[in-house]
Amino acid sequence: MVHIRFIQADGTAQEIEAEPGESLMVNAKAKGVDGIVAECGGSMVCGTCHVYVAEPWFGRLPAPSDMEVDILDYGLHRSPQSRLSCQIGVTEAMDGMVVEVPVSQR
Amino acid sequence: MATLAPYIPPHVKPEQVFSFDIYADPRVGDDVQGTYSAALADAPDIFWSPLNGGHWMVKRHDLIAEIVKKPEVFSAREMQIPRVENPPFMIPLSLDPPDNVPYRHVLMPKFSPRAVADMEPKMRAMAADIIDEVLAKGECDFVADISARFPVSVFMEVMGLPLDKLREFRAIADTYFNARTNEEIQRISQQIFGIFNELIAYRRETPGDDLITHFLTVDVEGRKLSQDEILAMSFVLFLGGMDTVTNVTAFTFQHLAGDPALQARLAADPSRLSDFAEEGLRMFGVIGTPRLVVQDHDAHGVSFRKGEMVLSALWQSGRDSEKMDNPDGFDIDRKEKPHLNFSTGPHMCLGHALARAEMRILADEWLKRVPSFRAKPGVKHGFRIGTVIALESLPLEWPIAEGVA
Repeated sequence: MVHIRFIQADGTAQEIEAEPGESLMVNAKAKGVDGIVAECGGSMVCGTCHVYVAEPWFGRLPAPSDMEVDILDYGLHRSPQSRLSCQIGVTEAMDGMVVEVPVSQR
Repeated sequence: MATLAPYIPPHVKPEQVFSFDIYADPRVGDDVQGTYSAALADAPDIFWSPLNGGHWMVKRHDLIAEIVKKPEVFSAREMQIPRVENPPFMIPLSLDPPDNVPYRHVLMPKFSPRAVADMEPKMRAMAADIIDEVLAKGECDFVADISARFPVSVFMEVMGLPLDKLREFRAIADTYFNARTNEEIQRISQQIFGIFNELIAYRRETPGDDLITHFLTVDVEGRKLSQDEILAMSFVLFLGGMDTVTNVTAFTFQHLAGDPALQARLAADPSRLSDFAEEGLRMFGVIGTPRLVVQDHDAHGVSFRKGEMVLSALWQSGRDSEKMDNPDGFDIDRKEKPHLNFSTGPHMCLGHALARAEMRILADEWLKRVPSFRAKPGVKHGFRIGTVIALESLPLEWPIAEGVA
């Protein structure tokens, strides 16, 4: 099992056991993590599964596609650690990863 | 229009048949989405209606999500029920992924949450102007005077359409949504294309910071958009910007008019307006999204066959008792407000952030000026159903402040 810690904008934390092979978004939705809306269901068109991935995990992720970068750039609350959680495939190596949820998705 | 004979293909099981006329079912009444949901209470989750040429209909939230996320089976290339010979081609809506992606890319900067946030002061001013026109009268038809004008005005600003043509455009859009025959659809589409051709010619000469100018100048995978592509994109945005927000807002205000406690609460605490708008969206969905089956597919005991139409009734998604308690109750405090009225998957509505902002801003500007109002008693509002649901009128009245009027 891969343990991933989600931290909300108000500081509350929730640790989930994530399923490798599924996206971070699908895992977060399945475990009812607040603030992950994912309105398009992972089609990379809505940008409402935005998260901030903490280092060192952020630097280890495969680079985002141009489309993902565009969606993040046009979205709200952009930070250098921003990613779309639907585009992050969970792997065993992510055990212990810390992910922050933005104050809003819209 | 000639009435089509009821049609049931041999592979449809008898228990899957439920006769429902999406254009005129008599069970749908003044509480449009509520009576619609009640009428379908006994229908299977996926059913075949033999009317209007015969088509599938999907009424459950999760099944709708499944259908619209499977474009290789359920294609968006045709969206007319019954099918027509030369269906309108809309970019990016009629294109299945990955072909729709570059076009969505082109549109994103103008419809993104950030672009919408940047537009907010302008939208507020537009809402204020529109409301101020009727304020002193103490009455209005909320549909004709407010909800039809505001979203369309905002949209026209985005597109760079001249606002003095508002009523003309609105009338054309109404005719389009009422059209059923191939001939009518073609004729009205041509009118709309004519308007856009004029506008494109104008913007070639006089560039602005509007969407048409963006279309004319943007680089798409190393090339410029063709005139036909610009027309096709403008067409879907034009129709999408006209009827959708107008109708959801009208139904939501129809509810608000009958709930003085909610009026007072929202007027006192505008921070809850986003929840109000979202609950309105959940309760009063207005869009159904038809798909064409392009390959045989068996799922959930249903045999979808190539060439059949499937209507995902998005307005049912917010009324699904499997997704929430008390789906027919309007409650801005419910934590989850599940609905798919912007659809989901690769064709999810590009205007979702804009639509939500428009609803919130209009309600805010309205309640600042008209904190207490009601529907005029004894007046029928009228509605129409189809692949779009509309409220035809909403006569409201409110006390006029002393010294005004």
